[in-house]
Amino acid sequence: MEVLAGLAQGFAIALEPANLFWCFIGVVLGTIVGLLPGLGPSATVALLLPLATQMNPTSGLIMLAGIYYGAKYGGSTTAILLNVPGESASVVTCLDGFEMARKGRAGPALGIAAIASFVAGTIGVVLLMLVAPPVAEFALRFGPPEYFALMALGLSMVVLLAGKSMIKALLSMLVGLWLATVGIDLFTDGERYTFEQIELVDGVHFVVAAIGLFAIGEVLANLRPADGMQQFRVPKGLRNLLPNGQDLKDCRFAFVNGSLVGFFIGVLPGAGSTIASFVSYGVEKAVSRRKEQFGTGVIEGVAAPEAANNSETGGALVPLLTLGIPGSATTAILLAAFILWGMRPGPLLIQDHPEIFWGLVASMYIGNVMLLIFNLPLVPLFAQILRLPGHILYSGILGISIVGVYSVDQRLFDVWLVTAFGLLGYLMRRLDYPAAPLLLGLVLGDLMENAVRQSLMMSNGDVSILYSRPLAATMLLFTAAILIGPLFRQVNTWRLKAAEQ
Amino acid sequence: MWRSLNKSELTAAGLLIALGAYVAWEAWEWPYMTKDGPGPGFFPLWIGILLVGLAALLIVLQVADASAGKPVEKTSWAGTRPALVGWGALLVAALLLEPAGFVASYLFLSVVLLRVSFRRSWSSTALVSVVSVACFWGLFVKLLEVRLPVGPWGF
Repeated sequence: MEVLAGLAQGFAIALEPANLFWCFIGVVLGTIVGLLPGLGPSATVALLLPLATQMNPTSGLIMLAGIYYGAKYGGSTTAILLNVPGESASVVTCLDGFEMARKGRAGPALGIAAIASFVAGTIGVVLLMLVAPPVAEFALRFGPPEYFALMALGLSMVVLLAGKSMIKALLSMLVGLWLATVGIDLFTDGERYTFEQIELVDGVHFVVAAIGLFAIGEVLANLRPADGMQQFRVPKGLRNLLPNGQDLKDCRFAFVNGSLVGFFIGVLPGAGSTIASFVSYGVEKAVSRRKEQFGTGVIEGVAAPEAANNSETGGALVPLLTLGIPGSATTAILLAAFILWGMRPGPLLIQDHPEIFWGLVASMYIGNVMLLIFNLPLVPLFAQILRLPGHILYSGILGISIVGVYSVDQRLFDVWLVTAFGLLGYLMRRLDYPAAPLLLGLVLGDLMENAVRQSLMMSNGDVSILYSRPLAATMLLFTAAILIGPLFRQVNTWRLKAAEQ
Repeated sequence: MWRSLNKSELTAAGLLIALGAYVAWEAWEWPYMTKDGPGPGFFPLWIGILLVGLAALLIVLQVADASAGKPVEKTSWAGTRPALVGWGALLVAALLLEPAGFVASYLFLSVVLLRVSFRRSWSSTALVSVVSVACFWGLFVKLLEVRLPVGPWGF
């Protein structure tokens, strides 16, 4: 009953004209950035963070989340028509989606991708709505030692799957944790690592780091004249996009498989939608009667990964909204948005700010319907965006980066800092250091340091408090297993496979 | 053996060791423990130590691989020139932002990117730059009322 009452409140908020407008803007922008290879949802959410923080938190969050799940819809169009994933979660859609396009079935491939995204996106929201409140209630038992252990576990999972080298991922995370210590120490009021710069007294701004590492880093990595690519035509007319009865029958299991696999992988920090889509593709192939045909253009090979990468969004929001722990770069930026609005998501969010939680959940139902409508009849129009030349797009992104960063506090220092983070983001890409652990370290560092210091204050400096309480001990055991596991060859082989995907 | 090492990786690890040493050195100056619990030096000291230790491990592992004759993956720097040109242009645009204003600094950035990185013609460069700066001005300054630096010529 509580859930239904909450949902009713959420719909009342999400259906307000202003929130419908921002939801629309979010999902349209999400679809566009999902379509464009080289511009991901994390970069876009980072770029729009300064604008979102000027809005009220509910509207801002509805728009940013719209970009996050809207990008998952857009990515499939590029994968099917160009054999290039618009974003990493659509890599596996290329396998059968592009083959279908080559066989003249681009329409049904695009249609089933939109339908699977809608079904799974909606199931993901239903699961988020049902799972989040009990998780939040359970997390009310957490004290500082449990929070420290939870953050250690979350960061270790991100590090585990962040790239080929776990050491590099750990180093990236440590740099993020260090950056989080820059500024005033809240316990003693002393300055740390400010290099006598007054602008650093408040610390390193998340927006600056996120825009530099993701948006500018990505642009610098793509600054070259574009190669011509073969693009299949999108069939005109809704009838040519709709899959037939047999197609839908073939995809029955894929919808369920993708929705469940996507959601539960989404809950795990670090795993993300790319892994979710690969796992659901693997499951679909394993149970299929025509497994030998996978990769040659079977429709369930498109439906399963598309369902999984959309349902994953609902799963990824569970740890963010109930525990305050983001599991990916995009959710870390969403956490940064909460902080900029002066709140911290956690077990009390649903209780203290029901309008935000339920407003977001209801807007996701509405956003998924909007996306289904756009992605069926309007897909030929969206496909035209793929013709947008890189020279216009990338110079525009750099301009938005400057405006976005400057508009936060009107400080030139932030523009210089974002330029430095942009170079760092580019070098990290070249040297294969993942940027997501750095951002997560920066976002969580402050909270993690507070948790460890509060724990040790509670125990008068006795370190055993960190591992003597059952919940904290269990989470730290898992953390140790995650960090030590890859020393064994078999575990490391599995890890590398997952990280490569 | 020296030839087979990936110098870029070693340089990056060396820089991280230097950063870790700096972080730990600074943290050493602050109280590690106070009567109320951990002091401001507690957390960063461990970060610094771990940075130094893990970056050193990265070097050790690479040297061990190279001395065992294992193939070491080289870092590809292809495409770095246009990236550095783009970054340099961004840096100059950032420096010009307050003295010259947003319009002039963005025009500079756009012209360098389009001409040098994307090798567009002068006419295409001029058209895209002028249209995009007009869009920025209209959207951010006029519509969203974002306060951007203004140059001596009033925009």
